[in-house]
Amino acid sequence: MHPFDIRTILFAKHAQHVVLIHFPIALFIIGVFFDFLGQWKRQQLLAVAAYYNLCVAAIATLPVVVTGIVAWQWELEGQKLKGILLMHLVMGCVSSVLICLVWFIHMRTRREQEDLPGYRLPIEAAAVVIVALTGHLGGFLSGVNG
Amino acid sequence: MRRIVSIAGLTAALVLGTFGLCTGQNSHVANAQEKMPSIEVKIDNFSFGPATLTVPVGSTVTWTNRDDIPHTVVSTDDPKTFKSKVLDTDEKFSFTFSKAGTYPYFCSIHPKMTGKVVVQ
Repeated sequence: MHPFDIRTILFAKHAQHVVLIHFPIALFIIGVFFDFLGQWKRQQLLAVAAYYNLCVAAIATLPVVVTGIVAWQWELEGQKLKGILLMHLVMGCVSSVLICLVWFIHMRTRREQEDLPGYRLPIEAAAVVIVALTGHLGGFLSGVNG
Repeated sequence: MRRIVSIAGLTAALVLGTFGLCTGQNSHVANAQEKMPSIEVKIDNFSFGPATLTVPVGSTVTWTNRDDIPHTVVSTDDPKTFKSKVLDTDEKFSFTFSKAGTYPYFCSIHPKMTGKVVVQ
């Protein structure tokens, strides 16, 4: 098996999910960090950096959700999930919705040229916690956190 | 009177015969079970133990998940000779190997977990 072999990369099935998941997690957490820092330091540049990170994080959730569902359908033949797998699926879906929601709040505010609403901060904080928990469950399932 | 004795004798013979037949069958089944014991593979710490198992034809292999994490047992051939559902902690999956051959398998959640059953 070669790491740059196209067949290995394309036909790795659910291994794609394990690789791709790191992008939205990292981008979202750093985006929220920049947003909190921008709010605290009153720096517009940090808010812009936050927006672009959140934007790419939201885009990166799409292949992650797709590969996660493909893993479920292909590898487990779509069987009824329970336990940690079910919890990971549900929390993954909630995380994806929250990441997209946070991005949407930022995007709409920029488009309307308004100030960012204060209520976004608790949403962002809650989203970071849920993303972290989902990642922890994923790591546990894959054996990294086990 | 002789007729009654004959009927009673016939009935007794029938009862004893049936009992003997049943007992014989049971011992036959018991012998078969003795010959083909159920063999266990333990799934623990992201590995199958033993990873390679050699069994006679007709053996039933039972995989038990002793890990905290869900696992599956799936043969690598196509179409799949055997495929378990997701096994949570302490859940079991059994398969009877009726043909000789080598049956490699893996966990579809953790593809690096592999094992092999050699049926002789």
